[in-house]
Amino acid sequence: MTSDRTGANRTGVERTGAGRTAVDRAAVDRAPYGRAARTRIAAAFADAGVTGWLHARDLDTGAEIGLGADTVVSTASVHKVCLLVTLYREAAAGRIDLTRQVDVPAAGRTPGGTGLAAMLDAARLSLRDLAYLTAAVSDNTAADTLWDQIGLDTVNRTMADLGLSRTVAVHKLRDLIAALAEDTGPDSPVDPAVVARLRVLDPAFTNHSTPRDMTTLLAALWHGDACPGDHGAALRRLLGLQVWPHRLASGFPYDDVRVHGKTGTLPTLRHEVGVVEYPDGGRYALAVFTRAAATTITLPAADAAIGTTARLAVDALRARAATGATG
Amino acid sequence: MDLLGHLRHFRAVAEERHFGRAAERLRIAQPSLSQRIQRLERELGVTLFDRGPRGVELTPAGRLLLAEAEETLDSAARLLATAADLRSGRAGTLRAAVPPELGPATLAALLTGFETASPGTRLELRELPVAAVVRELAQHTVDVAVVRHPCPADGLAFGPVLHQPLGALLAAGSPYADRPELAVAELTGLRLVLFPRATAPALYDEVLTTLTRHGCTPGAVVDPPGPDVAGALVLTGSAIALVPRTTPPPGTVWRPLTGTPLAWRTSTAWPAGRGGPAVRLFAQAAHEALTGPGGLLPQPPNRPLYPRPAMEFPL
Repeated sequence: MTSDRTGANRTGVERTGAGRTAVDRAAVDRAPYGRAARTRIAAAFADAGVTGWLHARDLDTGAEIGLGADTVVSTASVHKVCLLVTLYREAAAGRIDLTRQVDVPAAGRTPGGTGLAAMLDAARLSLRDLAYLTAAVSDNTAADTLWDQIGLDTVNRTMADLGLSRTVAVHKLRDLIAALAEDTGPDSPVDPAVVARLRVLDPAFTNHSTPRDMTTLLAALWHGDACPGDHGAALRRLLGLQVWPHRLASGFPYDDVRVHGKTGTLPTLRHEVGVVEYPDGGRYALAVFTRAAATTITLPAADAAIGTTARLAVDALRARAATGATG
Repeated sequence: MDLLGHLRHFRAVAEERHFGRAAERLRIAQPSLSQRIQRLERELGVTLFDRGPRGVELTPAGRLLLAEAEETLDSAARLLATAADLRSGRAGTLRAAVPPELGPATLAALLTGFETASPGTRLELRELPVAAVVRELAQHTVDVAVVRHPCPADGLAFGPVLHQPLGALLAAGSPYADRPELAVAELTGLRLVLFPRATAPALYDEVLTTLTRHGCTPGAVVDPPGPDVAGALVLTGSAIALVPRTTPPPGTVWRPLTGTPLAWRTSTAWPAGRGGPAVRLFAQAAHEALTGPGGLLPQPPNRPLYPRPAMEFPL
């Protein structure tokens, strides 16, 4: 019913392809749908016991919805997207060969619960397979092996080149995890007094970005600007192979909707950025960052709030496109 | 140039995204507001707004500077507040807050303890729910507080966390009333009363998760609109309330839960980096009052924590 109508009208919306249509942003933010959607999104965050910052962008019209979209946040593993975009951009420029094999010794690995970080024996993988592990299961060892290959500076320079002025990586995962371990010490990681002193939650100390910067990056990747040609397609494929169902994907339980994403997690922080694609051609870049009041490690309501708020934002963008509203 | 005044006008235009509406809000004429923004843009050497026929939009540079402007205005407001405190002789005042339902005996012990430890300091004490107290701590309108967890930790430092076990408040005529204690699993299928979820969603969800963890799937959980309704539901025997140890109202009894599976967690909190001597003395007095007459218990031994792959960082 509703979806049919939305779909029918949706196909009638003129697409620019490049997605760089000039939009009257002030009008977007004044539009009643924007205000109502932001109210619902704020309520969904509060209901889940989290503080949230969100930015959603229609990749074809440029229409957007934001809630604290320019707030600088600690990115945690979301920063792996910056690493991967840089890797594939370097490959597209011919400066790096993604099929090159790299040794990953058994000793000295960056710790983590997935992929090579959890595996025990020496391995040898291509750069692109390390990229797969980084995207699919947030493998900390695979990611640091890539960071070591291309360096923090290259990643930061690439982000600046793409117009991300507030996105900076200051350390690789091994240093981030070492700082987390040092601040936690022998105490319980769920003790509120311990969580309050963790430097890795402070964007001034650690890798950081903003929701708007992240959708800018995803838009550049989807429009073929960040990684031209097949390299862009290869990286978009990887982001679609992420295994986690609990955050962004949980908000879109529809067989005909495709979800790409990359999560990020630290004590009380739960994030995901990604792109969802509807069969009618609607494509939306999303960046949702949250900080929970509860220090509990397992908190499904906070994970699900990422999906819920992302869907509220996408629904508002789709309603706007369907009615052809301009503000 | 009066930088703060210009920044205030910049912020108003950024919020309204419209010169006319911003001028109305600031109660000044639109042309003079436009001039002031232009003056600020000249002074900073940066274009802050894209001006369109339907309104204005921040430029990327404007967005960056807005964040800085807000910080500058906030710290200017704090500076003025501190100066006002010094002027009015309130500098020796400690603004403190406690959560509701701490109990008069605990509060009395806290007041006496603090008075003894810091006789020169005037204490301004208010009762605030967790959401409000976190906001006021961030704005530095509260210096130190007793808070219930889960409490957002952004920018705060906490004292040691104490536990306040929950028990069951039930009608004196209930078949469970003659038992010395109740196992949580026995409450499966019964109607339970907590507190309105919206007042503390994170705590509410934590209580429900802990109930299921210990084998209790309630028949229904009632969000009472107020304490009287909660009390009435218990009195009629149609529901059991989960509350800390209390002097039971007539017609009801309070029973502990076997193994104290449920607890409210409480600690002191203050803005990180602002734990001065008065704050420290208050935190200490609060801790003693809570553990003494308050009957709160020190943190129990840590439960095992099993990392899950999706958490992405090692423990």
